[in-house]
Amino acid sequence: MTTTHTADALVTETVERLLTDLSTQGEIEHAESTGWSSTVWAALAEVGFPWVGIDGAKGGSGGTLYDLAAILDAIGRHAAPVPVAETAMVGGWMLAEAGLDLPAGPVAVAETTGARVVDGRLVLDAPVAFARHADRIVTLMPVGPDGIHLVSLRPDQVTIVPGYNLAGEARDTVVVDAPANDWETSQISDDLSLSAPWNSIRHRGSLSRSIMAAGALASMAQLTVDYTNDRRQFGKSVASFQAVQIHLVTVAQCAVRAKMAADVAVRAFARGGSLHEIAAARVVVDDAITIGTRAAHQAHGAMGVTREYPLHQLTRRLWSWRQEWGTTKQWRRELGSTVVERGADELFALVTEHPQP
Amino acid sequence: MIEFEPVDLTTEERRLQVEVIEFLEQELPHGTYRPGLGFSAEKDPAFSRKLGERGWLGMALPTEYGGHDRSAVDRFIVAEQLLRWGAPVGHHWVADRQSGPVIAKFGTEEQKRTFLPRICSGELSFCIGMSEPDSGSDLASLSTRAVRDGDGWVVSGTKIWTTMAHEHDYVIALTRTTPIEESGDKRNGLTQFIIDLASPGLTATPIPFIDNSADFCEVVFDDVYVPADRVLGEVGQGWAQNTSELAYERGGPDRWLSSYLLVEELLRRDGASDTDARPSPELLDLLGNAVANYWVLHHLSLSVARDIDRGGAPAIESSLVKEMGTRFEQDVVTAVLAYLDEAPNTLDSSVFGHLLMTAALTQPSFTVRGGTNEVLRSVAAKGLRPSGSSR
Repeated sequence: MTTTHTADALVTETVERLLTDLSTQGEIEHAESTGWSSTVWAALAEVGFPWVGIDGAKGGSGGTLYDLAAILDAIGRHAAPVPVAETAMVGGWMLAEAGLDLPAGPVAVAETTGARVVDGRLVLDAPVAFARHADRIVTLMPVGPDGIHLVSLRPDQVTIVPGYNLAGEARDTVVVDAPANDWETSQISDDLSLSAPWNSIRHRGSLSRSIMAAGALASMAQLTVDYTNDRRQFGKSVASFQAVQIHLVTVAQCAVRAKMAADVAVRAFARGGSLHEIAAARVVVDDAITIGTRAAHQAHGAMGVTREYPLHQLTRRLWSWRQEWGTTKQWRRELGSTVVERGADELFALVTEHPQP
Repeated sequence: MIEFEPVDLTTEERRLQVEVIEFLEQELPHGTYRPGLGFSAEKDPAFSRKLGERGWLGMALPTEYGGHDRSAVDRFIVAEQLLRWGAPVGHHWVADRQSGPVIAKFGTEEQKRTFLPRICSGELSFCIGMSEPDSGSDLASLSTRAVRDGDGWVVSGTKIWTTMAHEHDYVIALTRTTPIEESGDKRNGLTQFIIDLASPGLTATPIPFIDNSADFCEVVFDDVYVPADRVLGEVGQGWAQNTSELAYERGGPDRWLSSYLLVEELLRRDGASDTDARPSPELLDLLGNAVANYWVLHHLSLSVARDIDRGGAPAIESSLVKEMGTRFEQDVVTAVLAYLDEAPNTLDSSVFGHLLMTAALTQPSFTVRGGTNEVLRSVAAKGLRPSGSSR
């Protein structure tokens, strides 16, 4: 049995090269007019990256969760506005697992199991990332009396009400026009409880945000060190002032905490371990976002809050991702509940137990 | 940027974790001892000797000197469980953590044969002789002098914040052997000595601590004679040796576990599953937050240990971890106090009450001892280089 826990070097190098070339400051800015970058998506799709981690026999690109994590880390570092997490980590994976066809383009996922009826039409109860760009929009729903189904909707079956997150990425409202008997569905559970199937999906979604945020925090840390070394005041670089070094150290700490949390959560998940690492990672990452972005902006001064300097392309994404696939509060309390269930004698085991290689 | 590689534990390392837990369950069952806060727990030489018998002291030291040729990760695993238990580690902690390793690294053959086996058995206890009344963060400005006298040296001056100097056996003291006027740089001309705390002319006096404990000492050297064979390492190289000693002192689990037992005991008190009452959202918030942070600090700190085993010198990484770990230790105390409906009471003799009172009073020291957070940030900032310079 292989105990590898790193990404294929070819994947890491290729995604780095593609995104360095294409996910430029100008392209990211331009993407805000449409809610995504079709150029970056096309380049990643050409090499199969949006389907990495999905079984080749089921229509995916194959590869491991570690490969996918490397791609998502790079997407975070380069602030790339593309639905790779939505497709590879969640939506496309759901379709493949349920035995439904993977479309050629992006798959969007309703970040909810809720739907309400408004004026006789079904409205998915949460913004759907990149819905307007997707070839399929997937959600979980009880359909009929026989259990939970994965529902896969085509663009012509829905009306999209556009919306944007703080980073100008598409976060749309989806209204389902087609009647239920026209939906493509696949039954994925026998009982009508959503909690088990939904649990696995929201953990995947949350993990994707932790990985991407850790990438963005790493870029942000380097950008902050670079800027404060270049910027001169009182005749020397501002990075040489102890008052500024406090911010640099804070940003670096946030970056390493988030990266370690994401890395360990990926290992735990890849090895089929328990899910509490994903909750813990989100608590750590969200906290790192709050503290790290504040320190990075403070160290940049006024330049950091302009559109002409790229810091905002990272920080606005971080602030958005912090609120997606569950909030910090939800994950923290969920982890707290796990702690209470395991009890005082098991508390330290939660801290020190390692996912088995 | 600074990188930390996640660590996988080997089968043997996982087995060690289990062995230590089983040992502690047997030796120190709950309710039979008063657990302490991290490495400032009680001193119990008998307990230290038991650890020595198990081979859990001086683990990374060479076998020929009584050590076990094991790794920094193995030592980390043992240390982590001892701290979690609030075990009485006060007797051997400094000797095991830093005095043993520096003697192994810089000591003479005779010093290694004299001290290391007795450190590994849990017999000898050591103190850190760095700070002085007028030299704290600016340690190189220290003024304790050692002057050659025949075959040996005569030391005079004062060391301070020397934990347990009134009860421990030895101190490794950093002294000035060449006056600043002659040494040029103040970091030159410093020398480390291994000094017997029972030496004539040496007086160790406790300085009452904020919680009324009396482990903190002032050590006065009034012309203390130190034999020539108690110079540690090279005369004049004390600064570099001392810096390397600090790397052992920082970045370990003792820098983020000091208030851990407060959380465990709170959970034991308020999280009982035999009641119908659901845990409050405030308790869930506190526990979720605490465990997530302990979890990531465990992995960061363990990564530093693995790096040491691979021959790395993670001074910057360990400063980064210690700085955030100690702040977190304080945050835990703040969070527990904010959660509680009652104030700590100094006469509360319950396990939780005593830990709470001690933690509430002593938490300011977490971010001071072993190098203030301000100094640690300066060290860490040196590792944050612009992209151009690292290419």
